[in-house]
Amino acid sequence: MKRSVLPPWYLAIPALVVGLGVLVPIGYLAVRAFDADPATLRALVLRPRNLELFVNTMTLATTVIAVSTLIALPLAWLTTSTDLRGRFVVTLLSILPLSIPGYVAGYALLGVGAPHGPLASIFGTSGPKLSGFVGAAAALVIYNFPLVFLHLRTAFASMDSSLTDAARSLGLTPGRAFLRVTLPQLGPAYLSSVLLVLLYVFGDFGVVSLMRFETFSYALYMQYIASLDRTYAAWLALMLLAITTTLVVVEFRLLRDVALERTGLGALPKSRPRRLGAWAAPAYLFIAVVALASVALPIWSILYWTGQRGAWTNMGELARSFVGSLSVSVPAALLATLLAVPLAYLTRRHKSALTHVLERSAYIGYATPALALALGWIVVVLHTAPWIYQTVALLILAYTVHFLAQAIGPVRAGLHVATPRIEEASRSLGLGAIATFRRVTLPILRPGLVAAAILVFLSCVKELPLTIILAPLDFETLALNMYSFTAEAMFAQAAPYALAIVLLSALLTSILFHRLGEDA
Amino acid sequence: MSLLRVENLFLRYRGQTRPAVDGVSFSVERGETFALLGPSGSGKTSTLRIIAGFERSERGSVALAERTIEGDGVFVAPEHRNIGFVFQEFALFPHLTVMENVMFGLHRLPRDERAARAMEILDRAQLGEYAGRYPRQLSGGQQQRVALARAMAPRPHVILMDEPFGSLDPDLREDARRKIRGVFRDHEMTAVFVTHDQTEALGFADRIGVMRDGRIEQVGTPEELYRQPRTRFVAAFIGGANILPGQGQGDCVMTAIGRVPVDRDATGDVTIALRPEHLQLDTPSDGVPAGKVLSRVFHGHDLTIRVAFTDTEITVWDDYRCPFRVGEAVLVRPREKGVVVE
Amino acid sequence: MNRCWIRSVVVVALIGAVLGGCGETKEARQESSALDADSSSVLVLYSGRSESLVEPMIALFEKQTGIDVQVKYGNTPELALTLREEGSRGQADVFWAQDAGALGAVSKAELFVDLPADISTNLPELFRHAGGKWVATSARARTLAYSSERVKPESLPKSVFDLTDARFRGRVAWAPSNASFQSFVTAMRKMHGEDTTRTWLEDMKKNKTQAHANNVAILQAIARGDADYGLPNHYYLLNFKKTEAKFPVEQAAFAPGDVGNLINVAGMGILATSTHRDAAERFVRFVLSPTAQQYFASEVAEYPVVGDVMTNARLEPRDELLRAAPRVTLDDLDDLDGTLALLRSVGLL
Repeated sequence: MKRSVLPPWYLAIPALVVGLGVLVPIGYLAVRAFDADPATLRALVLRPRNLELFVNTMTLATTVIAVSTLIALPLAWLTTSTDLRGRFVVTLLSILPLSIPGYVAGYALLGVGAPHGPLASIFGTSGPKLSGFVGAAAALVIYNFPLVFLHLRTAFASMDSSLTDAARSLGLTPGRAFLRVTLPQLGPAYLSSVLLVLLYVFGDFGVVSLMRFETFSYALYMQYIASLDRTYAAWLALMLLAITTTLVVVEFRLLRDVALERTGLGALPKSRPRRLGAWAAPAYLFIAVVALASVALPIWSILYWTGQRGAWTNMGELARSFVGSLSVSVPAALLATLLAVPLAYLTRRHKSALTHVLERSAYIGYATPALALALGWIVVVLHTAPWIYQTVALLILAYTVHFLAQAIGPVRAGLHVATPRIEEASRSLGLGAIATFRRVTLPILRPGLVAAAILVFLSCVKELPLTIILAPLDFETLALNMYSFTAEAMFAQAAPYALAIVLLSALLTSILFHRLGEDA
Repeated sequence: MSLLRVENLFLRYRGQTRPAVDGVSFSVERGETFALLGPSGSGKTSTLRIIAGFERSERGSVALAERTIEGDGVFVAPEHRNIGFVFQEFALFPHLTVMENVMFGLHRLPRDERAARAMEILDRAQLGEYAGRYPRQLSGGQQQRVALARAMAPRPHVILMDEPFGSLDPDLREDARRKIRGVFRDHEMTAVFVTHDQTEALGFADRIGVMRDGRIEQVGTPEELYRQPRTRFVAAFIGGANILPGQGQGDCVMTAIGRVPVDRDATGDVTIALRPEHLQLDTPSDGVPAGKVLSRVFHGHDLTIRVAFTDTEITVWDDYRCPFRVGEAVLVRPREKGVVVE
Repeated sequence: MNRCWIRSVVVVALIGAVLGGCGETKEARQESSALDADSSSVLVLYSGRSESLVEPMIALFEKQTGIDVQVKYGNTPELALTLREEGSRGQADVFWAQDAGALGAVSKAELFVDLPADISTNLPELFRHAGGKWVATSARARTLAYSSERVKPESLPKSVFDLTDARFRGRVAWAPSNASFQSFVTAMRKMHGEDTTRTWLEDMKKNKTQAHANNVAILQAIARGDADYGLPNHYYLLNFKKTEAKFPVEQAAFAPGDVGNLINVAGMGILATSTHRDAAERFVRFVLSPTAQQYFASEVAEYPVVGDVMTNARLEPRDELLRAAPRVTLDDLDDLDGTLALLRSVGLL
C-alpha cells in the first residue's frame, strides 16, 4: 500500500547529485573507449584470455563468498543466539579484521610461508606456502568475512523468533527449523553482504597482484600501468562494469522477490539463547583459529616489522600523514552517510524505477575500478570546475561516490525499524514531515548511521588508487606513505604507518562494536 | 452539526483497477464512538487513513469540528488536523521512553506543563510506574494503553483507532475494551475505530458503519443493524443470519423451509434473513417441507444445529432440551418475522 | 549513553571539518602564493619516484634555493596517465619518472618542452634522450638475483638465454608487468630480433618461470624458497640488505654485453604547462649536480649518471656498468607498444 507520489525535492536533489556523480566518470570511460582502433580492439576484447580471467575471477569470488559464509554464519549465530560466554569479545574479534588493509593481510600471509619472515624468525620453521589462488582467497576472506558477519548478525538479532517457534510446533527439529525458517529469513541481509563481497573481489587489485593470481581487474590495472594505455583499459573497465552491473541488477531482482517484512508487532519476542553445553569447546576452538589467522597474524606481523631498525625514524611525517588521513576520511564518511539517507529512504518509501536506478547507481560507483574512476574525475573536473582539482574537496567527493554503497546497507536496515506507521504516528501528533524526520526517523536510524559512517571511514583510510591520483600536492595519508615504503621493500619504515592505520581503524571498529553491544 | 462529516470519499491505489474506497459517507456526533466494520479489504482502514490525512481522497470531503480538512481544494496536513491515531501495531517510538512518547504530541504546551500533563494521563491509564521504560519492555496490553494515552494527550477532536484490539490476546481484549470505554466516557471523547470483529463492534460502538468493497452498506446502531439489516451482506456479517430466497405473498414469503411471515409486505422474488436464534425445530407434519439434521454441536445452554433442505442449509440455535438427533427429519419454524433484505 | 553518543559523533565531525578546513586553507594559501609571489619560488613536481627515495634531495633543494617544491607522489604509470588526462589544463612543472617508458609516452603526447641543450652535453649517450625532451637522473641495472642458500655462484648462467635450460625449470622468478622488465624485452627485440625474443619468452613460460607483481616480490620469493633465481633490478636487494644483513639472496651480472645486463634509467622532463620554467630548470640541474648524484649512489644504491661521483661500496663503478651493458640506447627502448603486443600474444600480460 504505497502512495503514488513523486519523491519530495529535498530527497530527490541529493539523490540526483549522487546519480550524476557516479555516471559522469563512467561516461568518461565510454568516451575513451570509442578512440579504439577496431582491429586491436577486437583482438583485445575477444581474446580467449579474457575468458580465462573471467573464470579466475568468478572462481575466486565464489570461493571467498563460500568461505566467508562458513566463517561468518557460525560466528553470527554464536554471538546472537547462544549462551556462549564472552560474546562481546567474540563480536569484536570478528569485526576487527575490517581494520586491517587487504595488502597488510596479504603480506602477513605471505610471511607465514617465508623462511625468513616473522614466523620463521621465532619458530625457526616456516608454515605452509600461501600464494596464488589459495593465498588470494585467504587474504580476501580475512577482509570480507567481517562484512558478511555484520550483516548476518544484524539479521539474527532482529529475527522474529516466534517464526522459529512456529516451525518447532509444526514438528521440525531445531536443526531443520534453522534450515527451513531461520536461514531463509537471513536471505536479504545475506544477499546484500554477498554483493559487497563480490564487488570487492571483482575490484581488488592489491591482494591479487601480491598473491600473483590473475583476475579481470588485475589485467585491467596492468593494461593501464604497463602500457599507459587509456583506450583498451577503458574497454576492460567497461567489460568489468558490465559484469558487475549484471550482478547488481540480479541482486536487486532477488531482493525484490523476498520482501521479508516482520509481521509481528512492537516488542520482539526474545528467544531463549540456545545452550551450547559440550559444544562450547569446539566453538571456542573455531573462534580461536579464526581470530588467530585474521587478527593476530597480521597485527603481529606489523609489530614484528615495527621492532626492526629504521622503523621509527620520521615521527613528524607519521603525524602529518595521520592528520592527512583523518582530514579526508572523516568528511567523506560523514558525507557518504548523509547522502545514503535520502537514497535509502527513497527506495524504501518512494519505490519507482527512477529511485531504484539512483540507489543502484551507488553500487555501480563502488564497482567502477578506482583507477578508471580517478582518471574520469580528472577529465570531468578540469573541464567543468578546474578550481576544485588538486584540492581536498575533490578527494572527499571521489571517496564519497566510490564508497557510498557501503553506507546504504546499514541505513536501509535502520529504515526497517522506522516504519511508515511510526512516522505517521508522529504526523498525527502534530509534527510536520521534516520535524518528523528529525525527531523520529533520524534518532531511530542513528545506530545505522554510525555503522555506515564507520564502514566508509575504514575504506577511505586504506584507499590508494584514488588517493594517489586525486590527492592535492604535498598531501600525505597513512596509506600513501605505507605504500611508498613497501614499494621500495622498506617494510620496517612502512610498519608504523600500517600500525597507525590498524590502530585508528580498530578504535573506530570498537565504537561500532560498542554500538552493537548496546543493541544486544 | 456533527463533529466529523465524511462525504463521498474515493481512493484508488496505483496499479489497482478496483477502488479501495468508493463513495464513503457518514458522520459522527460529539462524544460518540463509531465503528467501521467489515471484512479485510473492504476499505475501512483506507477510510480511516484518509480522515487522518495519511492518504488523499480523489474527491469528496472531510470536515472536522466545522472546518473542512479535506476536499474543495483543501488539504490539511496530518499534523494540523488535531486528530489522534492509534495504530494496529501501536507504532510507539522505540527510541523514546513511555513518558517521552506521551509528551511527544504536547509540543504546543509550555515546556514545564508537558511532563505534568503526560504524567497525569499515564497515571489515569495506570501506567505511571512504567513512565521510564522503553516500549520494548512492556507487554502488548501496556503498549496499547501507551499508544492510546499518547494519542489522547494533545486532546484531539477525535481519536482514530485501527483494529485497536487486534494485536491483543483474546482474554485481554474484553478488559481493554471496558477500560477504554470508561476513558472515552470520562473525557467525552469522540472516536472512530476500525474492526473486522462484529462482536467487538456491537459491544464497543455507539453506531456502526458496515463496509464492503469500498462502500458503506448500512449505518446504524448495533440494534438497528441486528434487527433491521438492509442487505443480505449486513445480515450475514452481523449475527450470521440465514439468507433464504423466496416468493413474496404480501405479509409472508414462501421459502425452502415453508411459509415465513415477514416484517413488511413483499411480492415476487425476494430474499429474507432469518436469525438462527429466531428459529426452532419441530417434528415433521403435512404441508410444511421437512429437512434432515446434518450436525448438532452442544454449547451448554444451547445447541447449534445444521439442517439440510433440498437447495439450502439452515443454522438453528435451539436450547439444550432439543431432542433431535443427526439424520432425523425435522421442520424449521420461525419464532420471529423474517427480514426482507436487498 | 545516548547523549554521549551524539556528542562523540559531533566531536568527530567537528575535528573532521576543522582538519578539512585547514587542508583547504593551506591549499588556498599555496595557490595564492603561487600567483602573487615571484613565480619562480614555487615548483610543482609529479614524482613517480618514491617519497622515501627522493624526499631528502627535495628538502635540500628547497633549503638551498628557497623554492617551495609541491610534490605529488605516485606510481610512474599512474602519474603519466594523469598527465595525459590533464593535457593542456595541467599545473605540473616537472615529471620525475621511474623509467624511460613513461617518459617516452609523455614525450610522445607532446607534453614536454625541450630542455636547455647544456644540461645533457656531458652525459654518456646512454643517459640522454636524442630529442632533448628529457634526461636520465640515475641508472639501475637488470641483474640476476639468486638464493645464497641453494645456488653456488660458480654455477650461475652466463647469459639470460641460458635460463630456458631444463635445470632452471620452475626455479626462476620474473615480473612481466614491471616496466624495467619490459624495457629489457624491448632491448632484446632490438638486439636479437622479434623471433628470437618470442621463442625465448615462450621457452621461459614453458619452463614454468614464475610471474610476480614486482621486483620486491621476486626477491621475497627467492628468500622464501619459492624460487632460486630472479630477474630484478639491482638496487632492491641492497635495500633489503640494509635492514636485514642476512637476507639470503645475492646478485650477479651476466657476461659483459649480455642483454640481461640492460641499464634502465629514472629521468625527468619539464612540462609544456609549466608556469615556473626557471625553477624547473634549476631543479633538473640540481638533480644532476654532484651532491644529488652522490646521494643516489650512496643512499639509494643507484648508479649516478655523471662520472665524477663515488659509487656505493656494494656497487661496481659506473664505468664497469657501462662496459657490461648491452649495446642499446634509451631511444631504442621506446617501442613499448611492440613489446606489450608481444607479451600479450605470448600470454604474459
